[in-house]
Formats: sequence, structure tokens, C-alpha cells
Amino acid sequence: MNRVILSFYALLIAGLPLAGLINALGYSVGIGGPLATGFTTQYWQQLSTETSLLVSLAFSLYVAISSVGLALLIALALVLNRQRMLRRWPFPALLYVPLLFPSLVVAFYLFQLLSGSGWISRMVVALGLTQTPADFPNLIQDGAGLGIISAQVVMAFPLFTLLFDGLYTDARLDELRSLTRTLGASEGQFNRKVAAPILLRRAAPTLVLYAIAVLGAYDVPLLLGRNYPQMLSVFITARLQRFDLADLPMGYLIGFLLTVGLMIVIYRTTRWTQRHAL
Amino acid sequence: MRSNPVLTSILIGLFGLPLVLLALLATGQYWRFPDVLPPGYSLDALARVISAESDLGAGLLLSLGIATVVSVLSTGLGFVFSRAVARTRHPDRWVTLSYLPYALPPVLLAIVIQPFIIRLHLSGTVMGVGLGLLMITLPFCTLFFRSFWGNQASQYEQVSRTLGCTPTQALWRVLLPLARPLLVTCLFQTFLIAWFDFGLTNYLSVGKVRTLTVQVFLLVGEANSRLAAVASLLLLLPPSLLLWLNQRAIARRVI
Repeated sequence: MNRVILSFYALLIAGLPLAGLINALGYSVGIGGPLATGFTTQYWQQLSTETSLLVSLAFSLYVAISSVGLALLIALALVLNRQRMLRRWPFPALLYVPLLFPSLVVAFYLFQLLSGSGWISRMVVALGLTQTPADFPNLIQDGAGLGIISAQVVMAFPLFTLLFDGLYTDARLDELRSLTRTLGASEGQFNRKVAAPILLRRAAPTLVLYAIAVLGAYDVPLLLGRNYPQMLSVFITARLQRFDLADLPMGYLIGFLLTVGLMIVIYRTTRWTQRHAL
Repeated sequence: MRSNPVLTSILIGLFGLPLVLLALLATGQYWRFPDVLPPGYSLDALARVISAESDLGAGLLLSLGIATVVSVLSTGLGFVFSRAVARTRHPDRWVTLSYLPYALPPVLLAIVIQPFIIRLHLSGTVMGVGLGLLMITLPFCTLFFRSFWGNQASQYEQVSRTLGCTPTQALWRVLLPLARPLLVTCLFQTFLIAWFDFGLTNYLSVGKVRTLTVQVFLLVGEANSRLAAVASLLLLLPPSLLLWLNQRAIARRVI
């Protein structure tokens, strides 16, 4: 019975995705899809000339690392320096508020707030600092991905704060703080050498998975990003939705490689977590 | 370690501002650049939620329906699957397999499975979107219930069987009541995953299944900020209700 249930589970969660990945691989070597002409490695060889893919990959990595890094720093600072504040009204409820927002709504809100004709720009006009939307600096759909990073940080740092706060209590860091202070360590030394390493080590799997989620984000870069450079999900989707069917094999190849790459990262993370469970 | 009023105000402003701006956009009339505030206010855009001309009411019901069915199905099945996983010789392998859908961003998962969804004649249907969402929520639930099937649950089950319970009775009268808090939390979280999804739903629906998130995107594309704000506020309603009912349920959301 157990075997039947597990087979059904494997079929449900892995059946279609694996079949889809094999199909994508078939496209990429010319044996699948409407333009299948027989086995070829031409699309794999063309990969090295796909500069837009490399730019997209680099941009996605930059956004993921910057946003997770910034959110992590804010959350650590709040948990380590404002522990009592986080336990007082309104914080226990306030930190949950951003979790109510779908990423698409956060993107829409930031679009209305930060665009050239957005709310902040209107206030700046009212103050007499600018006159037209064009005078306002590009904070969204900009080359540096500031809008995307802002959205990801706004969504991530409350979650990380709640995560670190829970881990802080679980690890009895208040007791460790007293102990290290008794032994002569300063507040900063305790934060840097004791608390932060413990929190980061315990939260590592969640942080890696979150970074992967940001790397593959679609909603936010679709609204707040621009056509070049694009984040990976938007880049691949745009590639597969073009009218030119000749673009399909390369689109599927990139999707296949990205999935395999992320699977390796997740596999190593879960193995690491299983071996170093704290 | 003292409370900082400036920091408190900044955080309240940061988290409260979206609600203020969305409410202004939804109720403000003829709000053009460079006006800082709308010259007039009206509730007509909000009234369109219940009007027959607007898709918003239908989108709200559709989103509620999809999220409810997906969350109930995945919580129930996830509970059963996690029990089967816990009883295998190598549960770690199944845990690793359960992470497979997370290697694929939802929109990429949709792209990869779309050819098969088309062959199954499910493209652009609620069933197709539901199946896609189940692929994300089911492994989530299985991973979520993993901690439940430890020694304690097994011992309770064994004791109940020793005392004469049938397997069904042990499930209904011992295991399910024991797992109730986790079941409720999992139900809330999977509801939110399905409720918040845009990428997968948008791709698999090919414009035919217009959930609220899909409508927000379409309205933004049409530069209809008022209705987009109304749809955004509607999207916040169920999570707010869930937060009010159970704060921890939302907080435990696994990324």
C-alpha cells in the first residue's frame, strides 16, 4: 500500500516536470518540437554566443544576492539591536503585514510610488524641486534594477526578521549574551562573533531557498524591470513566447539548464541541512 | 535595546503606506500628475466589484474557488503522502525529491509542463491551473507534515490499535485530532500560495482563467490604476482575515 501511495506521489509531483524537462532536452538537441530535424548539437554550441543569456544570468544573480543580502542585514540589525522593541506593540503584528501582500501587488504599489509620475515624484514637484516626470530619477524600470531590489527587500526583511527572531529564542541567545558579557565581550563582539554566526548557520537553508526564489522571480521584474537586462524567468518566457518558432529550442535549452542548475543547488542544500541539522 | 520612536515610525510608515496609496488610487477621481492628492473621491470603482459589467467579482470568486480546492486537496493528500514518506527506508531521498518543484520557478514549471497540459486538453482551464498549483502545494504539504510523523504519532497510533481501534478509527479519532493545529496551519499556507500565484496561473490559463492576480496584471497593462488598486485591495482581504484568525499560520510560511 505504502509503495502505491509513494508511486502516486512521485507521479504527481515529479512525473510532469521530469517529462517536461526531457521534452525540453529533446527540443534543445533537435529531436522534439515542431521544427525537429534530427539530432543536432547546434543549439548547445550557440550557447556560448548568447551574450543576452549571460547578461540575464549575471543580472539575476546580482538582484538575488543584493536583495537577500540587504534584507538579511536589516533583519539581523533589528533582531540583534532591537530585541525588546520587536516584542512590544505594534511589532509582533506589524511584521506580519508585508506577508499579506502578493508580490504582484508590491510591484504595482512601488510602480505607483516610485515612477516618474508616481506619488513621491508628485511630492517632489509640490516642493518645487522638479517640474516634469522626466526630471525625477529613474527608480523603477532602471538598468540597476533598483525597483526590483526595493520590492524584494520590502518583502524579504520582515520575513527574515521573524525567522531570526524565532531562531534567537530557540538558540537561547539572551543567555549566551549574558554569558559572553560576563566573560568580558562587548555587545558588538557578541553580535559579530556569537549571535550572527549562529543565526546565519541555522537560517542558511531558508536563505538559500529564498535566494533561489528571487533568482527565478517573475511578477516583480515583469512590472518593475525593463527589456534589457531582464531577469531569467522573464528572459526565458519572452524567448518562448516569440512568434519565431526557431527560438523555441534555445528557450527550452536555457530553461532546462537553469532547472538542472537550481536542482543541484537545492540538492546540495538539503543534503547539507540533513547532515548538519542543528 | 530601548524602543526607538523614529525607527518605529519608519516601519509603521513603510508597512502602512501601501494600504494608504492603494486606498487613494481606488477611491480617488481624476487624479492626474502633479496632484499630490486626488481632487475628489468616489466609491464607484469599489462598487464595480459587485457589478455584472466588471470581471472583478467573478475573478474574486474564481480565485477563492481555486485556492480553496487546491488547499483542501493538497493538505489532505500531503498528510497521507508524508505518512508514506516517513515509513520508507530512505525518507531523505523522498524529501530531496519533494524539493524538485522548488528548483523550477512557478512560471518555468508552467512552461515545462505546458505541452502536456495541452495534450491533456487542460490548457486554459481551471483544472489545468489547479493541477499546476497542486504540483507546488503538494510537496510543500508533504514537507510540512514531515515533523508530525515522529515517534510520538507512531506511539499514539500503536496504543490506539492495541486498545482495539481499526486503522480508520485510529486515523479519525487519534491521528487527525492530534494533527489538527498543523492541518489548519497547512491549509492556510497552501491557500495563500494558490491565492498569491500569478506566473504559473497566467501562463497555464492562456488568458482564459482570469483570477484576481491575472486581472491586476491586465489592468496595470491597460493603465487602469483605479481598478488595479481595487483588485489589489481585494487580494489583501483573505490574507488579512487569515492573519486575524491565526498569525502563526502565516508566519510559518515556508519559502
